[in-house]
Amino acid sequence: MSDPRPVPPDLPALVRAALSTTEDGARGAPTTSDLSIDEELSLHALAWEPVALTTGYAVVAVPAGAWQWGQGEIDVASSAHERAFTQALRRLESDVARTGAHGVVGVSIEREVAPSHIAVAVMGTAVRPRGAGARKGTPFVTDLSARDFARLVASGWEPLGLATGASFVYAPRRSIGTALAQQSQNVELTNFTDALYGARERAVERLQRSAMSYQGAGIVEVKLEEGPLRFASHAVGFAAWGTVVRLAGDQHLPMSPTLVVSLDDETRAFEAQTLE
Amino acid sequence: MSTHDLPEATEHRLEELEHGLFTSDLSVNEFLLVKEAGFHPVGLVMGSSIYHTGIQTRKWGQSQELTKLTEAMYNARELAMTRMEEEAAQLGADGVVGVRLDVNYYEWGKDAAEFIAVGTAVKAEDGVSRRNQLGKPFTSDLSGQDFWTLSQTGFAPQGLVMGTCVYHIAHRGIGQTLASTGQNVELPNFTQALYEARELAMTRMQDESTRLGATGIVGVRLEEKSHQWGSHIIEFLALGTAVAATGAPVTLAKPTTIISLDH
Repeated sequence: MSDPRPVPPDLPALVRAALSTTEDGARGAPTTSDLSIDEELSLHALAWEPVALTTGYAVVAVPAGAWQWGQGEIDVASSAHERAFTQALRRLESDVARTGAHGVVGVSIEREVAPSHIAVAVMGTAVRPRGAGARKGTPFVTDLSARDFARLVASGWEPLGLATGASFVYAPRRSIGTALAQQSQNVELTNFTDALYGARERAVERLQRSAMSYQGAGIVEVKLEEGPLRFASHAVGFAAWGTVVRLAGDQHLPMSPTLVVSLDDETRAFEAQTLE
Repeated sequence: MSTHDLPEATEHRLEELEHGLFTSDLSVNEFLLVKEAGFHPVGLVMGSSIYHTGIQTRKWGQSQELTKLTEAMYNARELAMTRMEEEAAQLGADGVVGVRLDVNYYEWGKDAAEFIAVGTAVKAEDGVSRRNQLGKPFTSDLSGQDFWTLSQTGFAPQGLVMGTCVYHIAHRGIGQTLASTGQNVELPNFTQALYEARELAMTRMQDESTRLGATGIVGVRLEEKSHQWGSHIIEFLALGTAVAATGAPVTLAKPTTIISLDH
């Protein structure tokens, strides 16, 4: 008897087929990119060109019960976050390498922290110097816009990759005794400060360590996202990421900006229907 | 935890930074402008304090400053800022730019709030110390762009200064309400209360800048927030960067006027 269920699509084959159209993008295949015209222009001014839109995605499971109120850091969550982030980046890198590009700019990062898993999705436009062959080594990944990338390169710097760090902690419980005693006074809750301050520091420390593995000189545009988790308010998550950079040449090139004063008045916009 | 006692994780993190890596939350534009101004970022610095505010009694019909709440808001921000400054000092920085002061509330912390200060520590590339007259790294909430522009005018930031005042604004009695119904009148008790609260906050900010030997305060913002206290209790917070002239020769280019054709 044959199986009545429909045959599931062969996903890996579909992905391979989609990717093969962008393989070695320059020769003949059309380029795809989510860059604005301005951004393409600033790339062109540097003699770089977009090659293809590339993506990476990873989901890592978090064991059941991880979020139940405990003490200190939630190690399983912190390491799951790190694995999801690095996996997604590795996949993005191999996607970029396949297109023959040298790196990827304007990478958008979407993170999802759910009770049972942590997922990270990254997407950006792969770029390369116009007409260049494949790059030796792993391609660079950056969440800087193409415009920022162009300005950075013009000043003698280059992006190397995305560094990330995260830390999840439980808020300490306050015993009833201390809670009552503190009612009427102004007082710092030192154990809370310690827990959250420490967790924020650990997230940034991991960020730094991840940057050092790229042998970079520093990290710019560090983003720090933090807050209690939607589904478990006693757990607080801290995540940081940023682009690792280093000097490409011998020295930093000053840009000597010109001061300008715009004489434009603010334009008044109004709704066509209500005239408001 | 005293102010001189940063968490263990901090020590670790700052030690790592001494190997030459820098971290910063500056945008690329800001980063390049800070370099242009002759500074190099050394690291992201932060301070935090979770603070429980006490109970303050107040009279329904009386406008008054709620000193206990003012004190709490002051203390907590001061703790966070001092810790951030200490991190910067430990990195050997000359100052901190782009400081953000935030207040977080958590569900589990009744009457408690987390005050945080985050910024990028910077160091002068010529090796000459740019610390303020107290020998501490300067702090400032100026962006990289503002920092560069300020340096072009021959001024240097001395410190982020603030003044705060939590004020209870009297409720109006029924008699008063009825008397003014249907008329155009000024409500003098409201006017006066708001006036006085703002003045107190601004004066405190100015006092802080005098202590730093500054000659002015730029980028002053006056924020009014009720936090979680209800509509009649308002915090007035004045924030700005105290500056002083460096005495260096100023070659301020005449700005070019432009008209953009893109709208």
